[in-house]
Amino acid sequence: MRDVYVAGIGITTFTRLEYPLSEIAAYASMMALSDAGITDIDHLYVANMGSARVNHQTALASAVVDSLSLTPAGAAVVENGPASGASAIKAGFAVVASGLHDVVLVAGVERMREVNNLEATDFIASLTHPLAEYVYGVTLPAHAAMFTRLYMEKYGVTERHLAMVAVKNQNNAMLNDFAHLHQPITIEGILDSPEAMTNNPYVAEPLRFFDACPVSDGGAAVLLVSEEVARTIDRPLIRLAGVGQATDTHAVQEREEPTDLLAVRRAAAQSFEMAGLTPQDVDVAELHDAFTILEIVESEEVGFFPKGEGHIALEKGETALDGSLPINPSGGLKGKGHPVGATGVAQAHEIVTQLRGEAGDRQVDGARTGFTCNFGGFGNNVVCLTFVRED
Amino acid sequence: MARDIYAYKCRKCGHLHYPFRMVCKECRENDFFEFDLVPLPKKGSLLTFTRVYNLPAEYEVETLGLGIVELENGMRITGQLEVDEPAIGMAVEGEVKVVRKSEYDEFYGMVFTAA
Repeated sequence: MRDVYVAGIGITTFTRLEYPLSEIAAYASMMALSDAGITDIDHLYVANMGSARVNHQTALASAVVDSLSLTPAGAAVVENGPASGASAIKAGFAVVASGLHDVVLVAGVERMREVNNLEATDFIASLTHPLAEYVYGVTLPAHAAMFTRLYMEKYGVTERHLAMVAVKNQNNAMLNDFAHLHQPITIEGILDSPEAMTNNPYVAEPLRFFDACPVSDGGAAVLLVSEEVARTIDRPLIRLAGVGQATDTHAVQEREEPTDLLAVRRAAAQSFEMAGLTPQDVDVAELHDAFTILEIVESEEVGFFPKGEGHIALEKGETALDGSLPINPSGGLKGKGHPVGATGVAQAHEIVTQLRGEAGDRQVDGARTGFTCNFGGFGNNVVCLTFVRED
Repeated sequence: MARDIYAYKCRKCGHLHYPFRMVCKECRENDFFEFDLVPLPKKGSLLTFTRVYNLPAEYEVETLGLGIVELENGMRITGQLEVDEPAIGMAVEGEVKVVRKSEYDEFYGMVFTAA
C-alpha cells in the first residue's frame, strides 16, 4: 500500500443553507482544491445520506463533479448512514493507497433543514431495524436514551455529566466560525435553574434537548493524494495513517452486553494498529457526539480512558480544550452541527486544521497526532481515522 | 386468538434469532430460509426504557413509552411500553397490538404492561 496524504481541506458554515445540495458540496470542494492549489482530480467521492429522500435528488456525485467542471473524472456517492463521511474517506484512501488514482476529492454534504425537525428525525430513524425497531416508533434519540439509562445504572453517569459535555462542546463551538450553534450555555441554565425544564425539556428521557446535536445543513471536503503529489504541495504534510471500520448487529437489542459499543472498539483498534500508534499517542480527537452520552462512551471504547471512566475524565477537565486530551475542539456534532453525510469529513477537516496549527483560538498546542470516530447507525457501522503530521 | 411474534430457529444448529436474519449467526450454514418459527415468550423483565417526546408526524399521541425487554427464554425484544412508572428489572407482560399506522396499513408489534 502507498501512503496517503491530506493535501487540501474545505468546509461551509453548518447552519440552515438556502443553496442547492450540489452547490454546498461543490463549494466545500472548491475550497479544498484551492487550499492545495490543485485543479485536476482523478476521482470524486460524495458522502451523503439523504439526497433521494430529503432533497429529491439522486446520483449526486455526477451533479457535483460536473458543477465543478471536473468531468471526465470518476465520481460516485458513498451512502453509509451517519458514517457516510468517513466511509467515503476510506474509499478515497483505498483507491490512492492501491495506486489506482493519485488525486481523489472527498466531499460530504447534507441538506436536512429542507424538511421540519420531526421529518428529519424520521428520516434518520429509517436506518433502524424496520421490523424490530422502526415500526415501534424507535428513533435515534430513543436509542440513545435507552443506552444512557443503562450507562447511568451501571457506571454512575448522571444528567450533570451529560450537561458538562453539552457546555464544553458548545463553548468550543463559540471559537469556531463554521459552527452551527453560537450559543453559550451553562449548567445553571440547562440543569439547575427553575427555568431549566423550560429551557431544556426532555426529548427522550433521560435525554434532554441540549443532549442532542442540532439538525444542520453543511458540506466539508478533503483532498487525498499520493506521497509524490503531496511533496509538490506547499502545505504541512498530514498523513492519513490509520483507517479502521467495524460493524455490529442492526437491532441494538441483539448485542450481548448492552453497554458495549463493540464496533467503536474494533474500528479504533484497527485504525491505531494500521498507524502503528496507541490511543495514548493522540493529541486531539473528534468524536461522534450526536448525543452527549456518545462522547463519554466513545472516549472509553476507543481506548482513551478505561471502560466506565469517561465521565470521570470529563469531570476532571481532561477532555477540555486546555486538558490533557482535548475532545471535540470544533464543537463536535453538538456545537458545530451534524449534517449527517458531511460529519465524518468535517471531523477530518478539524483534525487536519489542528495538526496544521491553523485552528486559531481553539488550537490544541503542538498537536501532531489526531483521531476521528464517525459513528453510524446506533453503533452498527463505525469508521475511525488516525492522522499524523510528518514534517 | 392472541397474536404472536416469532423467533427463528436454525434448522442446522437450533440457535434462536429475533429479528429474522437470512444466515444463522451461530453456525452460518443455512441455505435459503432454513428456519422454523417459534413463538416468543410474552413475559420478561425490563432491561431499559425511555419516554419519547419528538415523535414522527403520523403518531397521534404526545409521548410514547419504549423499552427493551429480556424475555423468559433470555431473548430480547424492543417494544412499546405502557407503564406509568417503569423501572429497570421490573416484570412486564406483552401483548401483540397495532403499534403504528400509516395511511394504508396497520403494523403490529409487542406492547408491554406491568405484569
